[in-house]
Amino acid sequence: MQLPILSILVFFPVLGILLLLFLDRKNHKVLKGATFVIAVLEFLFSLPLWFGFDSRTAAMQFVERYHWLPQYGISYYVGLDGFSLLLVLLTTFLTPLCVLATWEDIQTRVKEFMICLLFLMSGMIGVFVSLDLFLFYVFWEVMLIPMYLLIGVWGNPARRVYAAIKFFLYTMFGSLLMLVAILVLYFYHGKVTGTYTFDLLKMYGLNIPFHMQFWMFLAFGLAFAIKVPMFPFHTWLPDAHTEAPTVGSVILAAVLLKMGTYGFLRFNMPLFPQAAYYFVPLFSILALIGIIYGALVSMVQKDLKRLIAFSSVSHLGFVMLGLFTFNVQGVQGGLIQMINHGLSTGALFLIVGMIYERRHTRMIADFGGLSTPMPVYATIFMIVTLSSIGLPGLNGFVGEFLILLGTFKVNKLYATLGATGVIFAACYMLWMFQRVMFGEVTNEKNKNLKDLSAREIAIFVPLLLFIVWIGVYPSTFLNKTEATTANFCTLMAKAKETTVAFDTQHTAFTTQHSALKTQNSKGVAR
Amino acid sequence: MGSVNPFFLGCTLSLVLSLSAFGLIMIFTWRRPKLSLAISLTVSTICLIIAWLTFIKLSALKEPLILSVDWMMSDQIRVPFGFLLDPTSLLMFVIVATISWLIQLYSIGYMAGDSGFGRYYAFLSLFALSMLGLVISSGLLQLYICWELVGLSSYLLIGFWYEKFSASEAGKKAFVVTRFGDIGFFMGLAFLVLNFGTLDIHSINSAAMSKAFPAWLLTPAALLIFCGIMGKSAQFPIHVWLPDAMEGPTPVSALLHSATMVAAGMYLLTRLFPFFSCSPTAMTVILTICTITLLLSSTIGMVATDIKQVWAYSTISQLGFMGMGLAAAGLTGGYLFAGFYHLTTHAGFKALLFLCAGVFIHHFHTNDFFVMSAKGGRRLLIPMVTVTIGALALAGIFPFSGFFSKEAILAELWNLPNKMWLGLGLLGAFLTAYYTFRVIFVLLFPRPQAVGGGHGVEEEHGHGHGQEEEHGVPWVMAVPLIILAGFTCVLGFLQAPIQKFLLGEVHHHAPNYVLLVSAVGCALGGIGMAWLDWGAKGAKWEGFIRKVPVVENFFIQKWYMDHFWRWFLNTVIYGLFSRTFTYNDRRVVDGGVDAVAFGTIGSGRLLSFIQTAFLQLNLLFMVLVLGGIGIYLLMGR
Repeated sequence: MQLPILSILVFFPVLGILLLLFLDRKNHKVLKGATFVIAVLEFLFSLPLWFGFDSRTAAMQFVERYHWLPQYGISYYVGLDGFSLLLVLLTTFLTPLCVLATWEDIQTRVKEFMICLLFLMSGMIGVFVSLDLFLFYVFWEVMLIPMYLLIGVWGNPARRVYAAIKFFLYTMFGSLLMLVAILVLYFYHGKVTGTYTFDLLKMYGLNIPFHMQFWMFLAFGLAFAIKVPMFPFHTWLPDAHTEAPTVGSVILAAVLLKMGTYGFLRFNMPLFPQAAYYFVPLFSILALIGIIYGALVSMVQKDLKRLIAFSSVSHLGFVMLGLFTFNVQGVQGGLIQMINHGLSTGALFLIVGMIYERRHTRMIADFGGLSTPMPVYATIFMIVTLSSIGLPGLNGFVGEFLILLGTFKVNKLYATLGATGVIFAACYMLWMFQRVMFGEVTNEKNKNLKDLSAREIAIFVPLLLFIVWIGVYPSTFLNKTEATTANFCTLMAKAKETTVAFDTQHTAFTTQHSALKTQNSKGVAR
Repeated sequence: MGSVNPFFLGCTLSLVLSLSAFGLIMIFTWRRPKLSLAISLTVSTICLIIAWLTFIKLSALKEPLILSVDWMMSDQIRVPFGFLLDPTSLLMFVIVATISWLIQLYSIGYMAGDSGFGRYYAFLSLFALSMLGLVISSGLLQLYICWELVGLSSYLLIGFWYEKFSASEAGKKAFVVTRFGDIGFFMGLAFLVLNFGTLDIHSINSAAMSKAFPAWLLTPAALLIFCGIMGKSAQFPIHVWLPDAMEGPTPVSALLHSATMVAAGMYLLTRLFPFFSCSPTAMTVILTICTITLLLSSTIGMVATDIKQVWAYSTISQLGFMGMGLAAAGLTGGYLFAGFYHLTTHAGFKALLFLCAGVFIHHFHTNDFFVMSAKGGRRLLIPMVTVTIGALALAGIFPFSGFFSKEAILAELWNLPNKMWLGLGLLGAFLTAYYTFRVIFVLLFPRPQAVGGGHGVEEEHGHGHGQEEEHGVPWVMAVPLIILAGFTCVLGFLQAPIQKFLLGEVHHHAPNYVLLVSAVGCALGGIGMAWLDWGAKGAKWEGFIRKVPVVENFFIQKWYMDHFWRWFLNTVIYGLFSRTFTYNDRRVVDGGVDAVAFGTIGSGRLLSFIQTAFLQLNLLFMVLVLGGIGIYLLMGR
């Protein structure tokens, strides 16, 4: 029998928490060391996923399924396909690095911090692997709590509570509507097929009438759009990013935001394909606004973290633009760009965190000329900056190239507008870099800054390795997603044809749908 | 695998070595100048040898050698990576390798004592890598990647003295402005690959020659790709980055302006010449833009006082000239020879001119040639002689290389039915000769009394050369000058062999005496005019253009192009959009969504309780949330 790798991944951090409970809370080194070991083990456990993954099939792999609440059709059902594989690996890859980054940064309530971190890890992996809507929702909500605490407890004292609550409320608001939609879906499925289940893959086969798709797409979409975040639901992000501790920002940017984009890919589009087609213009335009708006707002930021936060809005706009093309290039580009954004923005937050540890400020105006005292830091910063602006040879380019190619296929205007984001990215990132790193050292306090320590360099080496790897030979990663993407695109294309059929038989459809409407309202009322 | 062609092995080797030189220096030896220099120079020498060997061995090449591996393949789209060796790329390969080698040699003297010596050589290696990769790439995407890497290396090198604000500003400007053009290039590639299916250069050119492209695909794709060329080769209206790029060390300017960065644009135009020449519309646009650029930059060159600025504007104008030659050839069904030949000769004499300027700057610590002249610039014998040779070539005087290549371009323009283009080309030649010899005459006939406080160009070197004041010209700096001067003298007479090499045959034209006389006349006229204004005993040391102050001011202000872009960036993008958006973010979106969120949270909660059909679920959810908080509370404190 196959090892239940996914369950191990989900629950191993919880075991780790139990271990941490028994450790002395005063001994920070041991606590951090133990967490690091746990995170590294977790990463090692996740490696079989990469090697054992069959990239020729679009079917779910490493599937595990146990009955949980059979009377409600709820089961513990997890699996992995090309969409989630890279995201799971990204999570397990980044967590050990994050633990390393807390070494100097976190000095208060270390034990609680580590518990939150492991808890978060468990939740994040759970979200990416669950194939049961109920299970998914549980993980989705569970993950919220540790993040909320990370921001609220270890954040920047001045505004951390505001940021934490804002983050919490925004996300809760979206997820409540999503819960409603999940329930509607559940009952609809029960009505039509006779079996009440939360099994996601069974729901894929449903032929939901358009008006229901419309509303459910919006309900799910809102939850995910807030998470992505898409314009105009992005304003929680700069606050949360800025106030969170370094590691919080890294995980938030690298993994949590991806849950939004992943949600679109896993739930919104396959469940409600006709509605997805219907909403292409809306979401593409919102994505474009996000790209340009995020970039332009980045330009005027004075705080490094805020600047990077707004650049995330811009980059995630690219991802959404790619996903909503429904063709192989666009979707694959979107997938790879999720990973890229995780790597480069994660690295950027780490970079800012390191300078913050030294100077306790994040204001661009306080810096200038840091290249002279910190040449190693400058080199790493430069590479990550270039990766973030999509320089060929580094990872960002591959994602942007594929996304723009996919978009160009669908709509030339969108592609052209999206491409301007690439120029703006160069503007604000290089300007930021110039103001922080170039010039003469004007501030006395910056004259004798220590360059990166071996531990800090060790954090960046793996990140830089993948930044270059994806840039030079993306096929390693694209191959893994190819079958799933191709299958997804075929399904979407088929769904598009049925939309046409819908419209031609409009009258028949209306009567049918009003019948369903009454049925459905009864179902909810019961 | 089969047997590996030794030439491809050589190509791979030169790229890998350059990359490893960059990596080694950046990671290990950047603190040790001598070691870094040794690594970089060795690699550069190996590349030079490989390039010349390949060039000589393949000089009788009939069919292009192609090695191509698929890098990315999906859904009817093929993106190949590999090498394409044909006369065009081989000649450029040699030019790039030679000039980079000479520059590396020269920099030993120029950059001696600089604190970033190791880093400098690492960047030069990166530059060599990206440019060599660009030249021999077999697919357009690979070319695009190298193209961007060239942009990166010039960003790093222009802003090399990062402590100086203007330098980092100039580097950034170069990167962003060329990227602006690259977006067009990128869209062109997307357009091409989606409709044609491959980005293989050879396939595109063959398809173009067999008229396989429909016009709706050809013209937009050609124009979009030309946007990239405009950015790289600094054509109007996005030429503004190039004069600023003078902030970099002078050897870098020489490298940028002769064989690499800016030449990359014209090289691409040559590379895809069969493709471009299928679209008369695109070629007409190119011809127009290049002509505007030629005149614009020549006129600005007339009034600049910084020697590097003069050479920079002359580069822009010569690039315009090359573009005109290629476009005219495309329109009349001619060959790519004239433009590419000018690119070759220009690489030699422009590198020479910049390196000479570098010697003067290194010696006198100023960029202002009026000050150099006053301080006795003409006493530096070797640079003075070589700069004059370079200037003669730039002005197009027999027997120097520029004469032959300019003649070839003017012959292409002559073939155009509309003689206006020829007239404008001749005007450009006249202006070129004038501003070039303005510099030479000022340097040759100093008038210390004429240098007031008016010409204040700041010294370029940010670092001290304090004690070595009395030195002459170090041999590492003199040797490249002499070699390049040698090229400048010889290349002109190699016109026929080069033509045979590039096209496989020599096209003999009956000498066109009218053209010959008018071209030489224009060049001599320009020199004569410069002599009257700057050289002769009774000359007023005033440009003839001073008689029309409005126009002079217009030229001094660089046709207000910089003003325009600055206004566009500061007022429109930054002032209008960025600020408004930020305000909108803080007040409107944040305020509005906050209010809605706070309002809805209450009703949201209510809604979830109305969903009593599934109370258990809600309860379970709440238990989970409470459980989580409980866990925290238990562990906390």
